[in-house]
Amino acid sequence: MKKREFIDELKDALEIEDKDQEITLETNLKDLEEYDSLSVLSIIAMIDKNFGKQIPSSDFIKVTTVSSLMELIGKKHFD
Amino acid sequence: MSVKILNIEYYLPKTIITNDDLAKQFSDWSSEKIEKKVGIKERHIVKEDETALDLALEAGKKILKNYDKDKIDFLLLCTQSPEYYLPSGACILQDRLGLKTNIGAFDYNLGCSGFIYGLAVAKSLINSNIAKNILLITSETYTKHIHPKDKGNKTIFGDAAAAIIIEKSEEEQIGEFVLGTDGSGYEDLIVPNGGLRNRYDVNAKEIDDGSGSIRTDNNLYMNGPEIFNFTIKAIPKVVDEILAKNNITLDDLDYVIFHQANKYMNEYLRKKINIPKEKFYLNLLHTGNTVSATIPIAIKDALDNKLIKRGDKVLLVGFGVGYSWGGTIVIL
Repeated sequence: MKKREFIDELKDALEIEDKDQEITLETNLKDLEEYDSLSVLSIIAMIDKNFGKQIPSSDFIKVTTVSSLMELIGKKHFD
Repeated sequence: MSVKILNIEYYLPKTIITNDDLAKQFSDWSSEKIEKKVGIKERHIVKEDETALDLALEAGKKILKNYDKDKIDFLLLCTQSPEYYLPSGACILQDRLGLKTNIGAFDYNLGCSGFIYGLAVAKSLINSNIAKNILLITSETYTKHIHPKDKGNKTIFGDAAAAIIIEKSEEEQIGEFVLGTDGSGYEDLIVPNGGLRNRYDVNAKEIDDGSGSIRTDNNLYMNGPEIFNFTIKAIPKVVDEILAKNNITLDDLDYVIFHQANKYMNEYLRKKINIPKEKFYLNLLHTGNTVSATIPIAIKDALDNKLIKRGDKVLLVGFGVGYSWGGTIVIL
């Protein structure tokens, strides 16, 4: 998957409706207003759907930036 | 020998917590957001002096209004909110419901899979000629275990009891079962204190989960993301196994009822398994997640609202705390 597509999927999962809201690889998910305990479920679902992977919650807690989430999924999945 | 579900009734405690109540307590919650995300508008909760056994009694009385109670020859009570360590709540319930004394009765401790296990046990009791007419009651009051400041769990769970009569039948109306257990996940949904491993601690310290929910180890703890992981991994396979064991396809089924965990999770499962929307029950609006009572409540509501009719083939799947899961196909 292209990094750009992944960020779009992530915006969908977080229900970020503002098209202009900038999300980059360096964005810290925990700084986003939309990020809460329910959006964690949405991100888990998005990763399951796109990569067929379940991310253990103990790893998920350590996620900070978009880039760190991608590392958790596995670099090989991204162009 | 063959068995069937004859009848279902349920009872909800009178006190209601609405989304507005929650939004007042938790400033970052809004009514609309709660309903949209978890599909719940209100949940019924027990009063301080009301217990799961009280709810079980009400549900039991309700179903016995239209059934000769002297015919009941076995009573099963599923709860994780027992009155006492001992005796078994089922024994007290036998007396309070005025059932005969020459019957078997026991409690079993399961959550969201509890109704399915109750059906499996009832079927085997009938097939082994131990009983003919079984009263199964699933009664749960998770709200007793939830910390008053636990935003997440307070939003999701409600209290309820369901009563089900399972009888011998001409035709087989309860199909083959698939049951499963994975205790490696026991800590993901747990009340850590209050049993004999860790006694109830009056000085237990408050734990803030970082997203607005506070609890202590005396309270219910749910690791939502991990439960979600378990569910999306296990349940699609379980559905395949149930279909194979019963020699049926999704297309041949009239309807599907899963444990009503929360709207988001159930809807994700539906899409993942490719179950058509019109065949899939999804309704927690007025009850919330009532643990072992969700499936019987759903069956009764689906029948009452003519989403299904007598004779329909319905896939039932329960999953959760334990981890424990199970499913079967019933003809209603």
